[in-house]
Amino acid sequence: MSRYSRELSVLAVLAAMLLALGVWAPGFYRLQPLLSLATREAPVLVVACGMVLVVIARQIDISVGSQFSICSVAGGLLAAAGWPMVLVVPASVAIGAMLGMLNGALVAGLGLPSIVVTLAMLVTLRQGLNLFRQGEFVTLPDGVQWFGLSQSVGQALILAATGVLVIVLAAALRHVALGRQIYAVGSDAEASRLAGIRPRWVTFFAFAALGALTGLAAAMNVVQSPQVQPLSGNGMELKVIAAVVVGGVAISGGRGTLWGATAGLMVLACISPALVHLHIEAYWEKAIQGAVILLAAIAEGLRRRRSDA
Amino acid sequence: MNSSRRLFLQGTALALVGCLASPLALTAAEGKAMIALMPKSKGNAYFLSCKIGADRAAKELGVELLFDGPVDSNAAKQNEIVENWITLGVDAIAVAAENKEGISTALRKAQKQGIKVVTYDADALADARSFFVNQATPEGIGYALMDEAARLCGNTGEFAMITASLTAANQREWQKKIEKRLAEKYPQMKLVAVRPCDDLKDKAQSEATALMSANPKLKLIMSICSPGVPGAAEAVKQAGRVGQVKVIGLGLPNENRRYVKEGVIDSIILWNTENLGYLSVYAAVALANDQLKPGAKSFKAGTLGEFKIEGDQILLGKPFLFNKENIDQFDF
Amino acid sequence: MKTPQTLERSHGWRKWLLRHETLLLVVLVLEWSLFYYFGTSVNRRGMTVGFGTLDRQFDILRHSCEIGLLALALTPVILAGGIDLSVASLLGLCAVIFGQLTHDLGLSLSIAAGATVALGALAGGLNATLIAGLRLPPLIVTLGTYSLFRGLAEALTRGAVTYSDFAPRFLSLGQDRWLALPVQAWVFFAVAAGMWMLVHRTVAGRSFRVIGFSPEGARFAGLPVTRNLAGVYVLAGAIAAIAALIYTARLGQAKADAAIGYELFAIAAVVLGGTSIFGGRGSVTGTLLGVAVIAVLKNGLATLPVVIRLNAAEEISGMLTGFLLLAALAGSTIPKLVSARRNRS
Repeated sequence: MSRYSRELSVLAVLAAMLLALGVWAPGFYRLQPLLSLATREAPVLVVACGMVLVVIARQIDISVGSQFSICSVAGGLLAAAGWPMVLVVPASVAIGAMLGMLNGALVAGLGLPSIVVTLAMLVTLRQGLNLFRQGEFVTLPDGVQWFGLSQSVGQALILAATGVLVIVLAAALRHVALGRQIYAVGSDAEASRLAGIRPRWVTFFAFAALGALTGLAAAMNVVQSPQVQPLSGNGMELKVIAAVVVGGVAISGGRGTLWGATAGLMVLACISPALVHLHIEAYWEKAIQGAVILLAAIAEGLRRRRSDA
Repeated sequence: MNSSRRLFLQGTALALVGCLASPLALTAAEGKAMIALMPKSKGNAYFLSCKIGADRAAKELGVELLFDGPVDSNAAKQNEIVENWITLGVDAIAVAAENKEGISTALRKAQKQGIKVVTYDADALADARSFFVNQATPEGIGYALMDEAARLCGNTGEFAMITASLTAANQREWQKKIEKRLAEKYPQMKLVAVRPCDDLKDKAQSEATALMSANPKLKLIMSICSPGVPGAAEAVKQAGRVGQVKVIGLGLPNENRRYVKEGVIDSIILWNTENLGYLSVYAAVALANDQLKPGAKSFKAGTLGEFKIEGDQILLGKPFLFNKENIDQFDF
Repeated sequence: MKTPQTLERSHGWRKWLLRHETLLLVVLVLEWSLFYYFGTSVNRRGMTVGFGTLDRQFDILRHSCEIGLLALALTPVILAGGIDLSVASLLGLCAVIFGQLTHDLGLSLSIAAGATVALGALAGGLNATLIAGLRLPPLIVTLGTYSLFRGLAEALTRGAVTYSDFAPRFLSLGQDRWLALPVQAWVFFAVAAGMWMLVHRTVAGRSFRVIGFSPEGARFAGLPVTRNLAGVYVLAGAIAAIAALIYTARLGQAKADAAIGYELFAIAAVVLGGTSIFGGRGSVTGTLLGVAVIAVLKNGLATLPVVIRLNAAEEISGMLTGFLLLAALAGSTIPKLVSARRNRS
């Protein structure tokens, strides 16, 4: 029970939020807007799952927003050039994986600190994309949105795919050797090396996986509207890292779960629509987000203290 | 160990040299006048279409056009770029000011160096520029938006606004005028919320979805931020409320054509941005050549003809309404 | 014949030449010369324009002051093994507070300025309490305060209010010159000198590196870890407030979106300067050189004809800064890897 105390506390907060909304803003609970919200946030959840892997491995990647933008634009351009979606999605995943592997090579291969490496990548990738695209939208041909299917089918497809992905990843983290190795490397890289694990390869894999998942998320985003905006990934890294941290994944590595991160993302994603429904002015949003993150950090500190004691 | 470090040093220097060493001299050698045009944000399609008109004007006039601006609306960066241009020694500058006061310091400096200054789209302080090329006054824009919104709502009901960011000066101006018009002429209508979308189409879509859900009686969503219009339109479409919730805004024809044709967006208001860029460059060049002087009452700009000058504002004209009937005539 | 003393001296000379700061200085001189050569010319009116003008150099100095101050504020924080992502947001908050104090409350400039710095230190105290007091991870805490401070700035101004119309006396801080240099440069130099003294010449300052290297070891050695760690965050807050005053004076306005994105470049400058992000190693001189390299790069690129034609100054400078950062990191790590491999085989 105490092993998952953080995740459970996040779930409790989420439940409290949803309850409060039910009481004071019951309009929140309408099927179609909730479906839209969920579908819009599904790509972010996919990226967050990847981020969980990296953070458990005691690293961090603040360039995911730029990776997302690049994959979105690349996917959009390929689709506009006539590629069928069956090829566009894997292409986007591949591009994301390559970007992730670049990060992984620098961090795991050269041993450079991940926060600075991904900071440099964030700036370089973002500016590179700006240079290339100058902010211009990419217009998609008909048949790309919702894979050419109806909106409900498309939304169901995306939500189902996300759900399956999260379940599979969570299971893999727990039961597949590589998954457990990520936890090991995050807890104590040296000890895991002595135990026969190869920490550098595990770290490299974590970054590559995050990149691939980001590419997949970008593809999921592209099919949701008829145009792609190159700026679309802006600010995503903050959102994803906050979600992961609020969800109980320790920044010091070695612990955390996907469903915790999911709950964390849901808490953060609900802030904005909650403000709209409660008719609270928009300029409170950032302050509330910051407060939520701080409270999560304090909760994490308390948990650690209790477990150390 | 030492050689590895040296290698990196040499490599970096070589890369710098390789990429940037350019035998191109500035056009000083060619003798062309240099006109510098600054958008509020470089990636914004609105300003890119201004650039198309500006390029055309530059070609007709035989001047060199520099186009640069912050990637995202940023007053500090605008100042930096203006100061770049001052030390570059351009002949004239045309700026869409993100912040009225902030940019004026840099512009005054430019004027002191003999560089002519005009503003377009968003003004600076009056003493920092010779003329303001105004597509329409903020009043004209705000009133046009509010009047169109009222017309579509039958002068009664709730509507919501999506803006770019709460701090953007231009948007604040328009919002103030809209609220003023609302209070004066349409007491039966109510503005229920203003939400920022940070210039992101997807965020605008989320905001619009939440707005419709939180305000079931909502009749119209107005987006005064151009990426927000297609975002709001998509939200209305996905919510299946086309026709029940109208969408209007300040947007570009190309980005919104699909939605206008489908009837999701009733009208977008803008002005011919290409002409705005064209006019700005013509005005800047005329100023630099002393052909346009303060106190003039009208100004002729190339193929566009005569433009009225009111005080120190060169007026492009009234805001223009794009709708299903005329949107195909435009490509920007 | 080489005596042991001459051997020592020649070793010391070589070591100095290959220190990180020296290499950075060489890069600085190199890029400065490149920009001077390619970025200066004579324009249509016969004026010398471009990089090589005094005006331009002063512009570079002026623009470096705010990021430079933030980088200085971050140096002891990173040396002590922490990080502070919230400095730029705090700058925005302090700018807005200053605007409110002078405009809405009508306080005099000096009192408002003093109060702003005090409030900046107080905000830094929030970071200090959570990080040094509650021992929470700095990355997460400052990620939270990054949003919180910016959010408070937006809430205080309802997102919309901009404070301008400052007294010319105040604006001269950001726009005028004093004794041939921009006014804010003097402030910057003063803070830089103070920071150098603190980090390199005081007991507390030397403890930062020890704390960064090993907080537990520092505790066992009897160093006041909690107090010193708290101190660097409070100090960072105060310096961010000073930077806010300069920023507001330079632009003539105080808005909630002041200095968005500055923290990234400040961190880049500190890391470029040779300070390890893990703490324990670094110097103030390195940070200053890092700021200089980045500032000259950004401004110099904008004067090159090819960059102007592409109107891509910001993009290219961003990308090059990213590359430079990676090169600097790799440059300090690869030699170790190579020698480790050599030792193993």
